[in-house]
Amino acid sequence: MIAGRGLAAAGALAGALAAAGCGLGPGRDSQGTATLEVTRDYGTQELASASETDPSESETVLRFLDRETDITTRYGGGFVQSIDGLAGQSGGSRVQDWFFYRNGIESPVGSADVRIRGGDRIWWDYRDWTDAMRVPAVVGSFPQPFTEAGRITPVQCAARVTICDEVVAQLADANVRAQVSRSLERTETPRVVVGTWSRIRSDPAVAQLADGPATSGVFARFSRSSLQFLDVRAQTAHLAGPRAGLVAAVRLGDDPPTWVVTGGNERGVAAGAKLVRGDVLDHSYAVASDGGIPVPLPMTPQGSL
Amino acid sequence: MRPALAYRHVPGPLGDGGALAAGCYCAALASVALVSSDPILLAAAAAAVVVAGHLAGAGRALVVALRWGAGLGVILIVVNGLTSQRGDTVLVHGIVLPLLGNVDISAEALAEGGVLAARLAIVMVAFAVHAASVDPDRVMRLLRPLAARSALTATLIARMVPLAARDYARLGEAAALRGPLAAPAGRAVIARRLVAGSLDRAIDVAATLELRGYGSGVPRSAERARRSRHDGALLLAALGIAAVGFGTQLAGLGSFDAYPRLSMDAGLATIGAALLLPLAAALPFAAARILEMRRG
Repeated sequence: MIAGRGLAAAGALAGALAAAGCGLGPGRDSQGTATLEVTRDYGTQELASASETDPSESETVLRFLDRETDITTRYGGGFVQSIDGLAGQSGGSRVQDWFFYRNGIESPVGSADVRIRGGDRIWWDYRDWTDAMRVPAVVGSFPQPFTEAGRITPVQCAARVTICDEVVAQLADANVRAQVSRSLERTETPRVVVGTWSRIRSDPAVAQLADGPATSGVFARFSRSSLQFLDVRAQTAHLAGPRAGLVAAVRLGDDPPTWVVTGGNERGVAAGAKLVRGDVLDHSYAVASDGGIPVPLPMTPQGSL
Repeated sequence: MRPALAYRHVPGPLGDGGALAAGCYCAALASVALVSSDPILLAAAAAAVVVAGHLAGAGRALVVALRWGAGLGVILIVVNGLTSQRGDTVLVHGIVLPLLGNVDISAEALAEGGVLAARLAIVMVAFAVHAASVDPDRVMRLLRPLAARSALTATLIARMVPLAARDYARLGEAAALRGPLAAPAGRAVIARRLVAGSLDRAIDVAATLELRGYGSGVPRSAERARRSRHDGALLLAALGIAAVGFGTQLAGLGSFDAYPRLSMDAGLATIGAALLLPLAAALPFAAARILEMRRG
């Protein structure tokens, strides 16, 4: 009798699990290679890197990180407190913690809840977030987030056609299909907005740049047509001229990221367009250039011009 | 029927030993589970508490505590398996649960739950053996010079528990004797009546304690530490058990990591240290047996 009840309970449980879409083992593999990068101080110092071929259905950011580094967690194990002994700090006037980006987008949930698929780029960074609690999108995982979307990337052009064509060509070099359009509008996929600051600032997502890092997450600000490069304390570290260019990612609410290629004038925008390359953008939150020299933002003493 | 965890005097080191020595002995057994996560050391600590409980004549307390520990352990394993999303060896993936969302169950999470369950069970059994084997009056007497009011409160509680158990049994018998036409009195009804009368009973017990002099300072007898011939062996065993527990941690032995893959120290030094635990636990009882044989 008891054995019969046990069998019935086991059958009901198995049925419930099957109905819920679960399965035994780690699940099916996805195709492609996922990469993991661990850095500190806004990507200026690389601490670890790894890759995984054809990650399984149950692979999460936490498992990937756990396998490659020594971690401690908190809040029930879903949030990472330390990696290889480097722990979040909240004492004193500055606060530092670990943040992670999946395909260049800051995760709104814990790393245990984020699944990994082939081609994903996972980036953990230990940073001072006193002056920018949220940096919702970064450019350092290029060509993500464009390849993940798997659709044609709209390049919304408010600059000379040649500059926009150069951006499209740079994207194509990274296997991102892109198409130029002349209107600034919200899209369902990540987009690139190209144009001088005065012409694109009317876009609500781009307009966040005017409010500084606390709002936009970008450590650069325009003062009229001049670009200011900011340090981690959101203080002006370098006042660039109108020929300086900028590539940054912003995000309005839960919208897909908007990449901004801009400058004080057309020459600045052209300088920004030249920055859209994996080797320049890698591990950077945003990149500016002045006099043709790429400068990762926020500016650090190492990155000074 | 006497509750399984209620004290019953059984001649032997725990039954006749001093409260301090017996407390140290049981606390040392529990401390191994509190400081170590290594399954080998935990298995040895479990063997040690079972040896201690069996030799102390606390078999029923042992069984009851193990049953409770097993029940809580199963809950711990299930909860840890569902909530900890770490571990490389995924056994089941994609379970969707309310509040928790999409969860996987890994062998490592279950193993970590098992270790937590074992630690909890060992601590429970150690204290169950203490409760069933060590005279609570002696413990109160030991604590009274340090905290008179707390000792009085604890004494009152210690008296109330068996009293409530007996009252419950009497109320049940009375309910059963009301005749076949009387409405059946369930457990809840009897428990409610028991709680309703508990304040009166507590006042009765407190008055009795006061009459026996519990409210009038610390008696001289309490100030004198009562020595027992078992104390030396109990303290020596406690020292040995604690030394193994803390020493292995300080020496870096007995390491256990559940994540990302299970890894544990199964070296000879750890196994050797683990073997010492049940031997140390049996020491006071072996010493008592030798003393008896010499006398006999």
